[in-house]
Amino acid sequence: MAKKSVWSDNRFWQRSAAWITGFASVLLIWLTFDTTAQISMGTDSDIQNGVTKRVPGPTVINYKITYEMNKKRQHEIPVIGGANADGTSSFQEKEKFFGRDDWSEEEATALLHLGKLGSQVKNCMNCHTLLGNGAYYAPDLTKAWLDPAWGPEGSMQAMTGKNTKEEAMAEFLQNPSQYPTHERMMPNLGITAEEAKGLVAFLKHMSTIDTNGFPRNFGKIQGAVNGK
Amino acid sequence: MVNEVLMTQDILVEDFLTIFISSTLVLVFGGFYVGIYTAVKVKMLKKWTLPFGYLFWILTSYCLYLMGSLMHVNELTAKALVVAAIGLLLLPHAVYYMQDRVHEENEH
Amino acid sequence: MANSYLNSESKKLATWYFTVAATLFGAQLLFGLVAAIQYVVPSFLFEILDFSVARMLHINALVVWMVFAMFGAVYWLLPDETGIETVGIGFGKLLFWIFTAAITVVVLVYIFVQVGSADEMSIWFIHEGREYIEAPRWADLGITVVALGFVANLFMTGMKGNRSGIVTVLMADMIAFAGLYLTGMFFTDNISVDQFWWWWVIHLWVEATWEVYVGALAAYGLITMIGAHRKVVEMWLWIEVSMLFGSGILGMGHHYFWIGTPEYWWEIGALFSALEPLPLVAMFIHVLYDWGKTQGEEHAKGQNRSVITNKPAFTWFVINAFGNFLGAGIWGFFHTLPQVNLYTHGTQFTSAHGHLAFFGAYATILIGMMYIAVQGKNGIKVLNHTKSSIWATSMIVGGVLGMTVALTIAGYVQVLVSRAQMGATWSGYFDGQAGTWFAQGMDWRLIMGFVTFTGFLFLIKDLLSIGKATHHAR
Repeated sequence: MAKKSVWSDNRFWQRSAAWITGFASVLLIWLTFDTTAQISMGTDSDIQNGVTKRVPGPTVINYKITYEMNKKRQHEIPVIGGANADGTSSFQEKEKFFGRDDWSEEEATALLHLGKLGSQVKNCMNCHTLLGNGAYYAPDLTKAWLDPAWGPEGSMQAMTGKNTKEEAMAEFLQNPSQYPTHERMMPNLGITAEEAKGLVAFLKHMSTIDTNGFPRNFGKIQGAVNGK
Repeated sequence: MVNEVLMTQDILVEDFLTIFISSTLVLVFGGFYVGIYTAVKVKMLKKWTLPFGYLFWILTSYCLYLMGSLMHVNELTAKALVVAAIGLLLLPHAVYYMQDRVHEENEH
Repeated sequence: MANSYLNSESKKLATWYFTVAATLFGAQLLFGLVAAIQYVVPSFLFEILDFSVARMLHINALVVWMVFAMFGAVYWLLPDETGIETVGIGFGKLLFWIFTAAITVVVLVYIFVQVGSADEMSIWFIHEGREYIEAPRWADLGITVVALGFVANLFMTGMKGNRSGIVTVLMADMIAFAGLYLTGMFFTDNISVDQFWWWWVIHLWVEATWEVYVGALAAYGLITMIGAHRKVVEMWLWIEVSMLFGSGILGMGHHYFWIGTPEYWWEIGALFSALEPLPLVAMFIHVLYDWGKTQGEEHAKGQNRSVITNKPAFTWFVINAFGNFLGAGIWGFFHTLPQVNLYTHGTQFTSAHGHLAFFGAYATILIGMMYIAVQGKNGIKVLNHTKSSIWATSMIVGGVLGMTVALTIAGYVQVLVSRAQMGATWSGYFDGQAGTWFAQGMDWRLIMGFVTFTGFLFLIKDLLSIGKATHHAR
């Protein structure tokens, strides 16, 4: 009879499995504490005090948002209210959102809440991607707020007959199949005017989340060669 | 974490295809290596085919290197890839050694 | 061997679960076809059954049929492994009916209500709009109760009967499987936190607990179908558990590259993702090794007959070992490192990987279990292939591979045009979609979807009729 080796001992492997699984789980839980603290939503006073959060508070809808290459991090980051000398958010420059740039924390929170609920109930994620996750039947919405198509030079404001980005977006969301841009259209989902406002706030807020540079080069290159 | 530059360069458009193909081949060749080794050990293939198995492992490592350098991976990821390549080299040996032990203990 | 089916209520319940699973599998393919047609002809069922609805049904039917088949497979193997009838089987049957009724209501609401107004009521009663776990909250609670009841059946039986290594692994794995579902049930305004926990369900299911479940099922299959040595198989199962959980749990990092989570996940995700294919390679060698070894022993005795007692099921198990490596391993690995994932994240590459991985890793082995059930139900000693089983296998495998290749090519166009060159904007997205290669990719995906569906029809025909064929050894 061959001598027993530890490598062929079931109990040894059973214990290894338990230890490895336990160790990996503990590490994941520990990292989860660190990460959830870092991605908790900021507040209005963070913004007032110039504190950059990975997920800023809902009142960012009062500010101008851009997406700039950051030298130090070597990828783009959302810049809220204009940039400091080192390229981070200065939280100075405001921008009107549906005619106001003084949305209070309560109002902005309520609007974002409505928008997030709307994004789930209207099933956005089963056509679009949000933060890159979802379905691939329609464009990614991570930085949709910053898409040149909705800006002053884009086609969507003229098409919907509105003068601002947020009004154009809200109009489109309420009657998407009236404004077809391609053969593939967004269906009418019964979105009300109030829900549309919430959804646009949700999109504007999402564009301020620090996504480590995803998507790369967003809106920077226009009319490049296409690979047909 | 942030002061270190983790991602330095855009991937060149013409490099994408090479990256996708080489990373696919990493596992295809890796699978051939493991498959040939195992098949020789259970006597489904003749012994002389074994060097070809190791040749596939070398190809795997090369593809891993090519893929890593074209996507400009940083040092830590590069080390992780080397560990993965060595892990793949050792894996079937370890498996065979253990399986053989267990079979011996159960049959004799 | 006596026909254990006749006096096992657990095995009877297993066949019920398999029946519903196969039905939902068909629904998954049908709604997948609708969505695939919409890629080619966007006006198809527009504002009647939109892409979002078809796709939600496609992926929900997928998850649910797999869960049904997984429960079924456990009820099937429990009496064999523990040597006793499943404890509390009457309760198990009741749960089956509750589960089936709840799923029916959920599906009908998806199809006929589709969408509600933006309030909590819709989240409670229509759907939650979170990919893969869209089920409305009332159903979430119901599913949790059913899953806990199933775990209770498993635990009580494992405690009372002979607790084999396979049963021990299943007990630990299934409690994690049920528990993880709870992390996907709450609502938050913070989409980063939302997706962080959403991945706890999705990733820790399909890249950890489900994979371990497949390891346990493969172990059972090797013992019952080719008579592999239990000690070897169970030792190997523990090694697989170590490797799968060791790489899979922290492999979660590859979902945390871009959702607002800190940059250190790049390193963690890259490191553990690079290791994730290793257990899949290992599982593949294991099947090959055990098959070669047992067949070799048979040859050494001067016997030339095959050691396989269920040809169609074993074919599916071997396809599983290979498909897991191909779909989850290869198709996962080539877009997992953050440097490349920055461009491939959220493109048809993900879709290609999703199709091949769900099929290769899970659908295959669960179909294999259905054949084991057919064999057991009909008291057959050696189940041989039929013409239908061969047609079904080749058409389903060929169809899924074809869809995967087509989606990969489409994804490649999308990465180059929409991502690398156009920076992922609205117009960049549609430029990518308009590419000739992309459009042809979608045509081929649809064609291959029809091939897969035809294969499915053969599969159903075969599952219903193979037991009556006369060329088996009884």
